[in-house]
Amino acid sequence: MIRPGVRRLFGLPLRTVDQVRSDADAELDAFLEERVEHLVQRGMSPEAARSEAMRRLGASMDDTRTALRESAKRREGRKRLRDIIRELMDDVRFAWRQCAKAPAFTMIAVITLALSIGANTAIFSVVHRLLLAPLPFPNGNRIVMPVQESDFPFPNSVSPELAQAWESRMHAVTEIAAASEYMFSLRPDATIDTIPSAAITANFLTLLGVRPALGRDFVRADELPDGQATVAMIGHALWQRSYGGRADVLGRTVLVEGRPLTIVGVTPAGLSIPLARTPPPDIWVPARIEKAGEGGSGWGNGPTTFALLRPGVSAEAASVELQSVAASLPDSVHRQDRVRVKRAEDFLTSRERRSVHVLFAAVGALLLIACANLANLLLARGWARQREFAIRGALGAGRARIARQVLTESMSLAIVGGLLGIGVAWFALRLIVALRPPTLDHLADVQLEPSVLLWTLGITMTTGILFGSAPALLAGAQSTGDVLRRETLGGSTGRTSRRVRSTLIVIEIAASLVLLTGSGLLVRSFAALQRMPLGFEPRGLVYATVLLGAPRWRDRKLEFRDAIVERLRALPGVTGVAIGTMPGKAYSGGGLETEADSAGRITSVPLLGTVFISPDYFHVARIAVVEGRLPDPTVTADGKVRGLPYSTEVLVNREVARRLWPRRSAIGERVRIPPDVDRGGRVDPWSTVVGVVDDTRMPEVRGDIAAMQVYSLIPPNLGDMPIVVRTNGSGDIAAPMIRRAIAAVHPALYVRPTLSGDTYLRDGLAPTRFAMALITSFGVLALALSAVGLYGVIAYGVSQRRREIGVRMALGAESSAVLRLVVGGGLRLAGAGVVIGVAVAAAGARVLESMLYDVSPTDPVAFAAVALLVAAVALVASYVPARRALHIDPAETLRAD
Amino acid sequence: MALLKGTLDVLVLKALSWGPMHGFEITSWLEERSGGRIDVVDAALLQAFHRMEERGLLEAEWGVTKNGRRARYYQLTKAGRVRLKEEAAALVDHVDALKVILTARSAES
Repeated sequence: MIRPGVRRLFGLPLRTVDQVRSDADAELDAFLEERVEHLVQRGMSPEAARSEAMRRLGASMDDTRTALRESAKRREGRKRLRDIIRELMDDVRFAWRQCAKAPAFTMIAVITLALSIGANTAIFSVVHRLLLAPLPFPNGNRIVMPVQESDFPFPNSVSPELAQAWESRMHAVTEIAAASEYMFSLRPDATIDTIPSAAITANFLTLLGVRPALGRDFVRADELPDGQATVAMIGHALWQRSYGGRADVLGRTVLVEGRPLTIVGVTPAGLSIPLARTPPPDIWVPARIEKAGEGGSGWGNGPTTFALLRPGVSAEAASVELQSVAASLPDSVHRQDRVRVKRAEDFLTSRERRSVHVLFAAVGALLLIACANLANLLLARGWARQREFAIRGALGAGRARIARQVLTESMSLAIVGGLLGIGVAWFALRLIVALRPPTLDHLADVQLEPSVLLWTLGITMTTGILFGSAPALLAGAQSTGDVLRRETLGGSTGRTSRRVRSTLIVIEIAASLVLLTGSGLLVRSFAALQRMPLGFEPRGLVYATVLLGAPRWRDRKLEFRDAIVERLRALPGVTGVAIGTMPGKAYSGGGLETEADSAGRITSVPLLGTVFISPDYFHVARIAVVEGRLPDPTVTADGKVRGLPYSTEVLVNREVARRLWPRRSAIGERVRIPPDVDRGGRVDPWSTVVGVVDDTRMPEVRGDIAAMQVYSLIPPNLGDMPIVVRTNGSGDIAAPMIRRAIAAVHPALYVRPTLSGDTYLRDGLAPTRFAMALITSFGVLALALSAVGLYGVIAYGVSQRRREIGVRMALGAESSAVLRLVVGGGLRLAGAGVVIGVAVAAAGARVLESMLYDVSPTDPVAFAAVALLVAAVALVASYVPARRALHIDPAETLRAD
Repeated sequence: MALLKGTLDVLVLKALSWGPMHGFEITSWLEERSGGRIDVVDAALLQAFHRMEERGLLEAEWGVTKNGRRARYYQLTKAGRVRLKEEAAALVDHVDALKVILTARSAES
């Protein structure tokens, strides 16, 4: 028979079903017999008494029996539940008392848990936002983007023709919508010069799965051709800001580009186009897919097409369908192999994805270290409480009962730690948002979402079980007699415990070392990035693009270019103005090919950056001309050509010169854009290389487009006008002034946000700084935990060996020998941890490779520095308790026996 | 006389306030006290014990009766005592009110 305590522990009924049933029967039988006997005593015949008893029963014997068995069963179930709850409450109350008795321990445990669970929750929020649920819309996990990939690193949305063809025979998806963002002037007097806007197809909100906050959604009939739209929705923010959130905004008109539109709805708060990097639009106008890209007078990025996967259909299946549609289009310009359907998370580069994974792993390691550390603390306490456990065991508490008590304590601590951890996570997220690199900009609205809190609950529970189970098992494993005997003898105890604790410490130190090595490599990388030769001077350089592409500026383009340069030159603090883009960034690429050499060989580069400049660009940006001369602006490209060929004279950077003419000077060579079948076999004229300039680069910008540059004089028909302005102060301060100066040329000119080289530099360093800051803080936290753990083990060892140390000292041991004994023990553990950690880090550091710059993943400096740091901390953590060992009074320890 | 609905539990609690009893003792106590005016259906009574034990109002233990039989002895728990006090007060109040209403001399009589 199974003992009741065991039955209760495993949740078995205290009494078996059969027992409960026979008890119920026995109760009924005894009752009836008592009744009969009572009646017989009153003078009834036994037969009459029996039938009277049955009458009084009020129901048939069988029915009664069944009903009683049922109610008895229910009763036992309820009682068992009540017992469990009562014991749990007892355990929790007891756990609280225990924790209150050891406030220092409780505090350390709770802080450790709060920090590690909080860090985990924060990083999981990031993982959730970037990788698991990147689109915060009801249909978020079904929204995909059909794109056409190209040689450029940024895929474009498929053409409107393809989107429409797909829409007419879609099966894998249920909606296809398009949206494009643009800016336009709300008023000509420049009081609100530009506001973010969007042109969307009527089904865009339906696709996202959202409804207007007020009024109605667009319908197909609203999609009128060529800017004849008559209705608009306004963004929630504009509604609050300009209309005070009043419902009577519906039916009012809003002037968009001088055209009155009737407001029919208000979009939900914060609604923006998925993955767009512009602020949430204030004005939404309806447009057909093919028109969605052509908003107002401003500029558009071209429509982004979205599709909604049919539930249960994969993005891959949708890709196949899209490719077959593309293949069937008559004289298709869509290369079937290059259209595909992408999920939002596919837009992260592998480096961004890698850094999120690395952070996630790092924070997981931190949590494990915290668990090991707490297990260690609990074990130490467990040993101190051995007597208590033994006495409770002797008083009849089962081993399982005591183990459960220990687990309840660890769970209670974990839950308190988890609750505080949510607060920690909230702060950590604010920090992460502030540090986020621009490429992870949509992290800005990351929040502690319900699914994230579910994760927190999960790790809290797991943590409680993990760090509680070792002490729980050991607490249960001790034989009562042993403990009590040992205690009275005062001998050394707990070899198992010491081994477990030493192992935990070694693991902790090794894991901390791995984290710190990662952080060391990133710190070295960061330092290398800051020393990186840029080839130009970004500080004080401001870059802006004046949008002159709209048809209304067609005839005034050149006049505006001159006027803008003139006005900017006159600004105080401005020392130079030139046409051109911010150096070191990747801009639109094309290709470059050389003339056939004597052997008939043509050398070419398929992809490189093209920068349109004015001759003084290199002077203003401070890029060295290493060979040759500047192009002559009077020698211009002849004839009117479609597209943008290079000017007659061009410059290339050293990288291009190295690639195309590895063995001779580039000066005087002729180059052109390679003829391309995709562009109808058009052949561009040749240009002559007149100069070679220094390479320019920017941290975090990689790839051929950034590394290879051709500089061409700006053609007259180029729509947008890129300008760089050299200021003698900080570019950040000068930016608004430059905006105002350009507005003074003409109030309706739109300047795409001005950015200074200082900002670019900061942004370029941001991804490394982001990973470095987070991993370093995890590493430092891990090291601190390990140090506390090591200290605890050594201090405990000293207290256990008081007698031995006392005897040694009585026999004349030098205090330095005692120090060596104790510190040596600590350093042995630390040494084992360092060796294991270095091995693991060396094997694992390759995952960081893509995040490093100019530092090898096995960089000896980083490894040595971290190993030394860990050893130094271990030394301190062992030295402090060792000092205490010196104060042991031999006489006293000997007397204690 | 059949029992008023919902009064069985409080009567059982009252009976047990004198001390632990087994099932038949409780029913004969009720019959005696009411001068035979109360007629308890035994099947319902036995189920009431289970129900009240389930709710934690009673505790049960096997014991031996005067006649040497094994029987389940019931006794009040702390919760049962509290419930008895509340229910009894409410019921007495209720019965008083009924009495006032039903014995009032109406216009016709």
